[in-house]
Amino acid sequence: MIASETVKRGIAGAIGVGLRAPHLAAFIADRPAIGWLEVHAENYMGGGAAPAQLDRIRRDYPLSLHGVGLSLGSAEGIDEAHLLRLKGLVERYQPCRVSEHLSWSIAGGTYLNDLLPLPYTEESLAIVARHVARVQEVLGRKLLVENPSSYLRFRHSTIAEPDFLAELVRRTGCGLLCDVNNIHVSATNLGFDASHYLDALPPTAVGEIHLAGHAAVMRADVALLIDDHGSAVPPPVWALYCSALRRFGAVATLVEWDKNLPGLPVLLAEARKAERAALATLGDHVAAS
Amino acid sequence: MLPLRDVQAAFRRALLAEDETALAAFVDGGAARIDVHRNNLFASLGEVLRDGFPAVCRLVDERFFAYAAHEFIRHHPPARAVLAEYGGSFADFLADFPPCRHLPYLADVARLEWLMCVAATAADAAPLSVAALADFAPEATPLLRFTLYPALGLLASAFPIDRIWRANRHGAPLDDAPIDLAAGGVRLEVHRAGSEVVMRALDPPGFAFRQTLRQGGTLEAAATAALAEDRAFDLTGALGALFREGAVIGVTGTPANCEAPS
Repeated sequence: MIASETVKRGIAGAIGVGLRAPHLAAFIADRPAIGWLEVHAENYMGGGAAPAQLDRIRRDYPLSLHGVGLSLGSAEGIDEAHLLRLKGLVERYQPCRVSEHLSWSIAGGTYLNDLLPLPYTEESLAIVARHVARVQEVLGRKLLVENPSSYLRFRHSTIAEPDFLAELVRRTGCGLLCDVNNIHVSATNLGFDASHYLDALPPTAVGEIHLAGHAAVMRADVALLIDDHGSAVPPPVWALYCSALRRFGAVATLVEWDKNLPGLPVLLAEARKAERAALATLGDHVAAS
Repeated sequence: MLPLRDVQAAFRRALLAEDETALAAFVDGGAARIDVHRNNLFASLGEVLRDGFPAVCRLVDERFFAYAAHEFIRHHPPARAVLAEYGGSFADFLADFPPCRHLPYLADVARLEWLMCVAATAADAAPLSVAALADFAPEATPLLRFTLYPALGLLASAFPIDRIWRANRHGAPLDDAPIDLAAGGVRLEVHRAGSEVVMRALDPPGFAFRQTLRQGGTLEAAATAALAEDRAFDLTGALGALFREGAVIGVTGTPANCEAPS
């Protein structure tokens, strides 16, 4: 069965790309066709050229704010001043979605600029749930929480990550950002089954999917995948994406590319690949149902 | 039960102090996996510093810069998540960093590049026109204090750091004329004009005037500091220029028509 024009348009509109500084001028000048754009919130918390350019971008595209600095998993609490700056961006740009990570970055008043892993315990769950609730209260809207890429496991973890996320959704009403590259990276690094992970996520909570590339490295005789957003989306991540679509339906999808950032045409071509994958998968889905 | 706070303190120590003993007891897989996070931390912050201090990087070469940046990050990691605001103490760190002692001007070049970082992303603010002065009692004019635009920065150096910076910024020709370090110092102002960061040299009285106001001094104190540099200092002209350039965003003092309580 051939997908209807409405389905095609809907899927095209659901695919976005990460907006990075070297592409800003091209988006403003050429307004290439893409469903939506996502920015890292922290890059627009000052004044000057960047936030002004984003105002211009916002007139042409739906915008999603993706935070990296709230440190939802910090035992010492979240930085209220940072949260207020995020609120300022939400008011200014009226984003279609706001997302953050299941991770922490702040300990002892120091910002360790990485998305660091949490032990999955009842204590962590209570802390993250409290912080997600606080963020949603201050922003007055739903937050999507992204699954992290993992390189190590805490011995005292008692809850599987997707179960932890499902319980977070149940307690706070937050949504999920399902990064299928992160699932693939974590599944490879920690040795679990990525499709079981997808099956354990509450399907109606997933409000966005992330796609990206990763790097394979050897570190002291340990083979690891590093979530570096530094290349095209590789085949196993595409396969997981199609599984995710079958499970979650037509969810807004982002192609992220940070390191080795290519020219805009290459990035947009990757987004069109996602569009074709979604159309093929969901077209079948529609036909089968 | 192992409190999350203790796990995070151990993680912090593993990344910054390179002491993994506590963390290694909590995790499966050991050093190679913890290394991924340490690399993410140091590589990303090193890039922030390299982007913010390109002339310093060129002056000391990339490898030495990477070493200096690593030491700085270990001892002065960021406190907040907005990385455009990270690096304000890098110049002071370089000034006290023994391997840099043979480059006496390096810290001032770093201070200049930091002012440029600040100018690029400092908060936007609405400038006041000179008409704002009419709100204040004329006899209290000497006691007025001004809030200057957050993007505006001032820096005095004993070295010609503007020339050193120009010769070492990205893409500058390598065969630039030699710079005589004994040629004398410079007083600089960095500001944002539209979306562009601009730098210019100020004369000694003009610099003293703006620097005193920037530090919260009264108009009278600023005039006194400027006149100490040059008895012919034109106060009216300097004040007018400050407003004309959009550098004033706030004035405090005694309001006009303020009746004393009876």
